[in-house]
Order: sequence, then C-alpha cells, then structure tokens
Amino acid sequence: MSSKQLAAINGSPRGERGNTPLMLGAFLEGYEEVSGDRPEILHLAHGEPLADPVTAFAGADAVLLGFPLYTDAMPGIVKAFIEALEPRCGEDTNPELLFLVQSGFPEAVHSRAVEAYLARLAWRLGSRYVGTIIKPSGEGTRLRSPERNAQLFARLRELGRVYAGSGALDPKVLGLLASPERFPPWLSPVLRLFFRSKTANFYWDKQLREHGAFERRLARPYVPRA
Amino acid sequence: MRITILNGNPRAAEGVFRAYLAQLQRALEARGHAVSVLILREMEITPCVGCFGCWVRTPGECVVPDASTEVCRAVIRSDLTVFASPLVMGYVSAVMKRAMDKLLPLILPYFAVIRHETHHRRRYERYPALGVLLEAGVGGDQVDVQITRRLFERFAINFHASLRFVAQVGDPLEEVVDVVETACRD
Repeated sequence: MSSKQLAAINGSPRGERGNTPLMLGAFLEGYEEVSGDRPEILHLAHGEPLADPVTAFAGADAVLLGFPLYTDAMPGIVKAFIEALEPRCGEDTNPELLFLVQSGFPEAVHSRAVEAYLARLAWRLGSRYVGTIIKPSGEGTRLRSPERNAQLFARLRELGRVYAGSGALDPKVLGLLASPERFPPWLSPVLRLFFRSKTANFYWDKQLREHGAFERRLARPYVPRA
Repeated sequence: MRITILNGNPRAAEGVFRAYLAQLQRALEARGHAVSVLILREMEITPCVGCFGCWVRTPGECVVPDASTEVCRAVIRSDLTVFASPLVMGYVSAVMKRAMDKLLPLILPYFAVIRHETHHRRRYERYPALGVLLEAGVGGDQVDVQITRRLFERFAINFHASLRFVAQVGDPLEEVVDVVETACRD
C-alpha cells in the first residue's frame, strides 16, 4: 500500500548476531503487515567502505537506524557512518529519520542524552525527526526464550504497523518500551543488595568461569601492584 | 600532575585545533605537569566488537592486543584525562569515539547504584578527573557543545569520575590552564 521506501540500518558492532537487529526485525515485521514492504537490514559492522549504507540513506524516503548504547553514546562505527553523511547536510531530499537505541542498563534514562543528539542530527541533516525508540535491558535479548521476548517483539511490531499507517511512532508504545525510565530512589538500597547477589551476577560469573577467568575477574592490569 | 590528552582530531593538517593543543601542552608543561598526548588517528585501534572479552576472558584487557591498551594505561594512570576533538556532526570525532568504546576494560561488568541509577562498578580504586576540549569549527555551535557536555556527563558517571570542564578552542589559554590545574588538584 505504502510507496514510502524505508531503509533499515543496524549499527550493532556485533552485526547480524547482535540484539539490535532482532529488534529492528520485529519493527519491520509490523511495518510489512501494513505496507506490504519488507526492507532488508544493512549491517554497518560489515565494515568500510560506508558507500552502501550512505547510498541506501540517499535513496530512501525514511531511514531507521538502530544501535546499542556504547559508553553512553553511539558506537564508533555508527559515528563514522554519521560522519559519512556530512556531505548530505542541507540537501532537501534527505529521508525522515527514526532511531532505535537499546542498552544493557535496566533504565531508559541512560539513553536520553544520545536521544537529544539524534534529534539534533535530524535537524542538521534537514530530515524530519520521527522519533527514537528506547529499550533498556536490551543486552541478552538474543539469549532469551521466545516467550520472554514475546512482549518486546509484539510492541515493536505494533510500532512498525502504526508507523506504516500514520508515519508516526505511537507515544504510548514508546513509553511502554522505555519503561522503567528510572527506579524510584527508595528502591536504591534494595537494588544495591540485589546487585551484590549471585543471581544478579550470574550472567557474568558463568561466562568468567567458562573461560577460566573467574579468579581474575577484578584484575587491574594497568596499575602497578601495591 | 599527570595529564593525558587524547587527541581525537581526524585530520593531520596544520590548523587551529592543532596549534591550540600544542600551546596548551606547552603551557601545562611550563607549570610542571607531565603531559602525554596520544594522537588517536595515528594509533591502530580496532573497533570494539562488543565481545565482552575484556570482562569475561581477559579481565581488564581487550582480547585484541592493539594500541587501545596504551590508551587505557595512559588514562587510568593520569590525574586528569582530556578528551580533545573538533566537533564533527555535532559530537566528538569517530576516531575519538572508537577509542572511548575501548575504555570498557577499565570498568567492571557488575552493576552498582550511583545517584539512584544503575551504573557499572569500578575496577580501579581511583579514576582520573575528566575534561573535554572541543573545537566548534564551521558546522558546530553552542547547542552541539551542550549536547556533547551532556553525553560526557553520562560517560563520567560510569567511569567513576566527574566531568570537570568543557573548554573550547579559542577560549583564552590562561583560563583553560587554570581550569585544568583546578581539575587536577581536587
């Protein structure tokens, strides 16, 4: 039905094996249900040259760029892609922009600073800013059972469907995905205890043990031993 | 004091940024500080691939033995680390961001609660104070500086440091030297 051409770009440094492309895929499923189009996902991790994603950007009516939060911002490869778009600043044919930022932190608040950057980026490119999907606790999505991911993917499909129909991201669904924004301050002592527990650290401790590195987990290789 | 300056200028050519940074280095050295400048674009730093090997395989070190180990060592051993970069598309350069991604070995995978938020736990006892030096250039403005400041404030929390200043190329050199010295002292 829709004649809008949407390009999806995956900025996960893990490429197709990351968590980000799973989330992009769910959005695109919903988008396809309404529009009949199923855009392919381009992976930035496939490396330079950045000619393909830049060409895809230039030829699209809309671009969905997703990435994981790296040191509180976009990963280096995503920044390199953004820099490759510099010659397109001020072009009046630039696509409208949607973003997806997922992080390993359990609260959405961590991704708000980069969200402000992304809105500014759209302005800089002269693109319409559609919005940013923020998903905390995104790390581990690829390891979770389909049942545990069902709600996440259903919400992303819903966003894709509504976007295909209306050209907007449903603020109610955005809010549900970005929940919790932050934890209430009274919860801090409880969280502190929880983060010290074996349950909370199981994900990391298990991998450390598998690699025979558990005893060295607190290593400080860059300071002289006291 | 030991000051590490990460130079994230993607361009080698002579210019305002390069000249200002050289002046700043000389001024700080004249006041007795040990300044080391790492020119990131000349260092072989492979992009972080998110393997978490620095947390679960070789704790504290990247599994890829590239020049990022040199960056990590220079950062953690400094009293102050300055992230110096021209604004490119409204933020520090990709050269700088690539190096920042590879600072992950300096913290732990485990979570802690800081300011009622979840952050990574410290790996080291002490971390340097952080500063940022930007060149707004032709395409950048004060909105970009503010957004970049906000991104570094967030970054600083996870790196158990406080962001002490965001200076700009063109600020009077003596003023910048003063804020740098204040940041080193306390």
